Amino acid sequence: MTPERMAQLVARWVRLYTRKLPTPIARRRVDEIDADLHDQIAHERAHGTSDRRIALSILSRMVRGIAADASWRGEHADANPSTPEKTMKNQRTASRSTVGIVLGAAFILALPLLAMLITDDVAWGPLDFVLAGSLLVGIGLAYEVAARNAGNTAYRVAVAVALAAALLLVWANLSLGVIGDTGDPADLMYVGVLVIGIIGAVIARFRPQGMARALLATALATALVAVIALIAGKHEAPISSVWEILGLNGIFIALFVASALLFRRAALQR
Amino acid sequence: MPRRKPGTLLPLETEILGLALSMLRSGQATFHGFGLAQSMREQTGSRSLTGHGTLYKALSRLEEFDLLTSRWEDAEAAEGRPRRRLYELTAQGARVAEHALAHDAEQATGPSRRPAPKLA
Repeated sequence: MTPERMAQLVARWVRLYTRKLPTPIARRRVDEIDADLHDQIAHERAHGTSDRRIALSILSRMVRGIAADASWRGEHADANPSTPEKTMKNQRTASRSTVGIVLGAAFILALPLLAMLITDDVAWGPLDFVLAGSLLVGIGLAYEVAARNAGNTAYRVAVAVALAAALLLVWANLSLGVIGDTGDPADLMYVGVLVIGIIGAVIARFRPQGMARALLATALATALVAVIALIAGKHEAPISSVWEILGLNGIFIALFVASALLFRRAALQR
Repeated sequence: MPRRKPGTLLPLETEILGLALSMLRSGQATFHGFGLAQSMREQTGSRSLTGHGTLYKALSRLEEFDLLTSRWEDAEAAEGRPRRRLYELTAQGARVAEHALAHDAEQATGPSRRPAPKLA
């Protein structure tokens, strides 16, 4: 990636986190970073730095500044005097949470992007970034909604554990696969596992007692997948031993069961 | 990033003020974001430049504390490149920077019980 392309990426990021801020504040930040990027590229090139290294340095500066960007945005969003009412305050909180989720997702996605600049072993396409970004933002928003409506801490932690397990399961399937070689159709059984969890949650109307049962059903479905994989002889594949199938599925089962127990505790606390 | 105690400056802010004072003493009254990041890299011997967000948030805070003031560079001076935001130490900023440099010098010569640099 050229330094100019990387500078465009940073400029997009700046436009994203300055969105809906008062125009003079947003405009100043955008223009100031534009000048900085231009100066950095010109300075580094004049000193004979390679384009790849300049691009990496720009990316690194952006990633290291993300937390400060989010905090700066929060301060300026808070300083807006035209939002005194509670509804507006709630909207602002929701907007800040959404920005936080997007920032978190951007930070996580910057890691493979950074890795692609350093090594050829990581080769993500635009579709991979879109998929991973949608997944991270989707899971983040789902947690945000659930946490906001939660009555107690146990429920919030239960939701976090369940969503983390679902995210790990999807990510593992999309990247390398859990059973057999990469792309083994047996991995499609995990779609069923997630569908059971989602249908269970909907039937339970997200009430803790019902959620506990839905998560237990999800754990049982995961165990069933492992048993079917072993019966089908998937452990005979070169990279998928009995222990790998049992170990990986065991992790997901443990997470789903932990979430179920937390939902049960949340139900008892109500 | 370290948490701010009320009425005190963060190490990065102190570093910026110290550099601004050094530049002022060497006849350079104004400085811009990238130039500052570059000077900080040279001074600390670091391989990387300060992150955009970290740097500009610190500059913004120093302006809020009236320790720095800023204005846009003239369009003619920019000669076709994006205009830079030029920062300058205020009188209060220079006083705080002197105090910070004295504090750093004391720290370098031995243990000190003096508190971290304050805003005023």
